Amino acid sequence: MCMAVPSRITAIDNGVATVEAFGTLRTTSLMMLADEVAVGDYVILGPGGTFAAEKIDPEMAAEALAYLTEVLATGQA
Amino acid sequence: MLPLDSSIAITLHLDEGRVGRVEIGSNRLVLASDMLNGRKPAQVLALLPTLYSLCGTAQGLAGLEAVENAAGINAHPAQRMARRVLCLVEMAAEHAAAILRDWPSLLGEAPDLAALKPLRPLIMTARKALYPAGDWAMPGGGGLAPDRPTLVDIVHRLGEAGNRADLVADRLLARIENEDLEGFGAVSPSLMPETGPADLNERLAGDHDGSYRARPDCAGAVFETGPLARQSRRPLLAALMGQYSNGLMPRFAARMMEMAAALREVEDLAQDLCDDSGGLPMERTDGTGLGVVDAARGLLVHRVELREGVLREYRILAPTEWNFHPQGPLAHGLMGASGPDLEWRAALLAASLDPCVPYRIEVCGNA
Repeated sequence: MCMAVPSRITAIDNGVATVEAFGTLRTTSLMMLADEVAVGDYVILGPGGTFAAEKIDPEMAAEALAYLTEVLATGQA
Repeated sequence: MLPLDSSIAITLHLDEGRVGRVEIGSNRLVLASDMLNGRKPAQVLALLPTLYSLCGTAQGLAGLEAVENAAGINAHPAQRMARRVLCLVEMAAEHAAAILRDWPSLLGEAPDLAALKPLRPLIMTARKALYPAGDWAMPGGGGLAPDRPTLVDIVHRLGEAGNRADLVADRLLARIENEDLEGFGAVSPSLMPETGPADLNERLAGDHDGSYRARPDCAGAVFETGPLARQSRRPLLAALMGQYSNGLMPRFAARMMEMAAALREVEDLAQDLCDDSGGLPMERTDGTGLGVVDAARGLLVHRVELREGVLREYRILAPTEWNFHPQGPLAHGLMGASGPDLEWRAALLAASLDPCVPYRIEVCGNA
């Protein structure tokens, strides 16, 4: 499935964010985001991860991450 | 790469310079929806658009329809119309995004980021323009209060993106024509029926190990789903298919036609939308339901069982599993292909079927 993984922004440098999800760090461009974001916010990355596609609220990110943690734990991924 | 990231691996095995075997590997998480079991419908329906954000509206609506069918809820026609508008807005935006993001790379060009940027926010704006409280995926219907001026603006802005997409499409289709590739990938079409496979409910109900969801078929037939199947009855596309069957030209043209048709339909429906308070109650707490939605990439199906008001046996069948099936339209269309630019041709064919996850193509053997 084309699952989106909420990723937490750990750093921003010149329009490029370092994001973390499940212990993995990635970099992604913020230029396609409609909303302003800051370190600590959660985003979903677009196809391929080159661009952050959407900012999501922390509660929904937490719920999605809890579900995805279960998916990982049960070996569905 | 995260363990949750899915992709498709397409390997072309050459035999005397021609593709003799096509291998399609996928690590897509077809069983992940099992983890939705045991939750309340409203909780899952709120989560789906975030979990499957690429086609979040279609996923939310398929889940909503499945839950309402299981719960015996017959949503008000006004709600159905508003949901159709949401689905069409996402379809038009996704088609435009695929053209502006993915097609330029097939031409050796950079994606049109300026035209791409507004597309995703427009999908969110459409949800708010119809359901100001954000409860568009609420079983029984959310608070529907259409904001027509905003909807008109959304159509206008999607139309602007569509115009930019047209420019890319013109260049790609000209290149395809110049290289005599209009019919590349054509096989005897096996198109998805308008109402989906006849045995859909039974097959999903019995799919305990996920094998049907990973490699679906209907009495052995693997359907092509998406714009070509849906637009094939229109005279212009029928004429193109008469010449090139389901080759590149008809497939790319079908996407363009569907994008324009979706916008026209939104424009029409926007005139007839009306307020509705929604909130219909669940008629029962036990039942099964199917939700079938025409997502941008093809038929998207959710099936749920409701037991004492809790979801069980949550199953999702996505269009990519049909189109990128090892015996599906991509695999069959690549058989026998040849040429020094084989990888590029295969990428064209894959793009014409628009998978919802990244793909990579490898050519093995002597060209």
